[in-house]
Amino acid sequence: MSLALAAVSKLYGAGSAHAVQAVRDLDLEIGEGEIIALHGSSGCGKTTTLRMVAGFESVTKGEIRLRGRRIDRLAPARRRVAMAFEGYALYPPLTIAENIGFALRGKKSAAKAEVREIAELLEIGPILDRRPSGLSGGQQQRASLARALIRDAELHLLDEPMGQLEPQLRAVLRGRVKARIRERNYTAVLVTHDQGEANAMADRIAVMEAGRLEQFGTPDELHERPANLFVATFFGEPPMNTLPAVASEDGYDVLDEDAAVVMRVPAAERAAPKGTRVVLGLRPRRLELGGTMQQGTVVSNQWLGNQAHVALEVAGRMLIAVRPARVAARVGETIGLGFDPAHLHVFDAASGAALAHRREA
Amino acid sequence: MSALDVTSLSVGFGDRQVLRGVSFDVGAGETVVLFGPSGVGKTVMLRAIAGLEPRARGRIVLNGRDVSAAPPEARRIGMAFQNFALYPHMTAFENVASPLNAQGIAAPAMGERVRALARLLKIDHVLEHLPRQLSNGQKQRTALARALVGEPDLVLFDDPLRNVDAKLRYEMRIELPRLLARRATPSLYVTQDFREAMAIGERVAVLVEGGIAQLASGAEVYERPATLAVARLFGDPPMNLVPAQAEARGGGVLVRAAGLGFGFATEMPDDPIFGIRPEGLVLHRDSGPGRTAAKILAVTPASEQYVVLARTEGGIELLLSRETPPPSEGTEVWIGAARGSGALFDRTSGLCMSNAPVMEEAVA
Repeated sequence: MSLALAAVSKLYGAGSAHAVQAVRDLDLEIGEGEIIALHGSSGCGKTTTLRMVAGFESVTKGEIRLRGRRIDRLAPARRRVAMAFEGYALYPPLTIAENIGFALRGKKSAAKAEVREIAELLEIGPILDRRPSGLSGGQQQRASLARALIRDAELHLLDEPMGQLEPQLRAVLRGRVKARIRERNYTAVLVTHDQGEANAMADRIAVMEAGRLEQFGTPDELHERPANLFVATFFGEPPMNTLPAVASEDGYDVLDEDAAVVMRVPAAERAAPKGTRVVLGLRPRRLELGGTMQQGTVVSNQWLGNQAHVALEVAGRMLIAVRPARVAARVGETIGLGFDPAHLHVFDAASGAALAHRREA
Repeated sequence: MSALDVTSLSVGFGDRQVLRGVSFDVGAGETVVLFGPSGVGKTVMLRAIAGLEPRARGRIVLNGRDVSAAPPEARRIGMAFQNFALYPHMTAFENVASPLNAQGIAAPAMGERVRALARLLKIDHVLEHLPRQLSNGQKQRTALARALVGEPDLVLFDDPLRNVDAKLRYEMRIELPRLLARRATPSLYVTQDFREAMAIGERVAVLVEGGIAQLASGAEVYERPATLAVARLFGDPPMNLVPAQAEARGGGVLVRAAGLGFGFATEMPDDPIFGIRPEGLVLHRDSGPGRTAAKILAVTPASEQYVVLARTEGGIELLLSRETPPPSEGTEVWIGAARGSGALFDRTSGLCMSNAPVMEEAVA
């Protein structure tokens, strides 16, 4: 175990009428050499969590251990943690090279070579002799990331590390940074609101909402076995299709807005007793066009370069199908659709908890 | 008649010429996307068209009316900004109706118009709410209704979905073009996201260094980028662009890049660059003709696809994308090109010379 958070909570303004519980009873265990992402929308508690691990925020309740050592009462500098934070600014009087190499000890020539290498990896070689002022946000961000990645710390904390990069650089740099973290066997925690970044970089993703941990799993687990309806519809682009339904004798009856049955879905193993209100989930990849289960009206058919996204209106609800090739379907046309019931996810409509997941064929 | 005709539009700030004689049009009922990197002048272009840019030079014609010298309020243009900002002290109804107040429209007619649009946008039940009582989706629809309610001759959208969450952004990508098509509202829409550009624009104008480098359908821009700059900007993960060697071969050129060979029926480029989309490259576990040895450096999953960064034996980094999980990091693999994938650019002119390789050849 590298980093362990046990029942960590953060309460702002404790005792006052405006107390805010930013993080609630958070348990997280992160292995040596693992890259994890804290992911959620703004205000979910991800940044507060990172700042508590770094030592920029006190912990209201709970414990944080790094390689077994309790660190939550230590000063930031004594935690053996390297960080790239927004607002954790570069030193203005130093050049970018001096900033990156600031924490390095040992021979000067060796340090210089190391700075050069990490700068080239992050495509900031040409600006090593410049000072931070006058550089773009993206360049400063990469310099800050270089300063963290050059250090052989016990833990690397990266706050929105590549948020300001132009897309044409982002894909390659994500790959290079991930390869570098692996090669050095660093343990890293990154915070991001960007699902693309969490997906690309992390071995496991902790999805947070309103200070709580909703699910902690690999991108595949979040995609294929979402713990609840929140994760199912938050994670995945486009989001999971959802259909309100009620468990029937031999499957599920899909309901329209007036609770009338519009489609019967047979299911070999029903996940809830008859009469239970459920929500059926279906990933856009699993919705088949040209099926015979139901008719839908084509609302839009968008070709996005290497994927077709087809939106269909079915009994007043919108469903999305994603295909890796162009689809011949005109807007306004009525087409058949269907899916293999084995691909359905089933959620309890009242609690949102997952009752069953898609099974491999 | 075009809804908008822009001719030789230039805007300079001191020594810096942001827009250099740009000309284009937006057809009746058409949505054109203005795509480009940050700082390229997209917002400046919108401001100039709206009449908010005193340094603008050139001709702007709206539905046949020359408005080049007209003040903003006389141009009949609707605007929607980043985040779809609303007036916090006004109800949703008052927010939507605010442009009509300026037009001096009588209250009953105004109420009817606001409610009709609200029904279409599914916000009719929250019209009496203040912005802070609305969900993010409702806020966005309210601001959209405000931009459309005055029945403007043109709507300008300045990257309205930039900071909204992924789910809402996706819904709006489908709803917005429908709504604009239904009302036949011509619009000019700014974004930096190529998928959004393809989803929303009937045509996409790629703005590079003060001028339009390409104006075509999104699919055309993606499949046949006219210049190196367009190829670099349009796509995520972006097109691989690698240094190449070219030699004359039977009336065309044989191009070698990253250990692969491609034939193009074109003239000799001055300084050849070979381009190929990540989905145009194929991973193999075995060697074979037309394949180059490489090692997987990192696997970075994306939504609904996997992105792989690999390095060839010759030290060239390549991005690949595919539907199915790839071999793990560190695996030795062979990379080939899918039939018909690849484009030849000339770095000197910056132009695409051909995007149709006519043969593939194994390169020892």
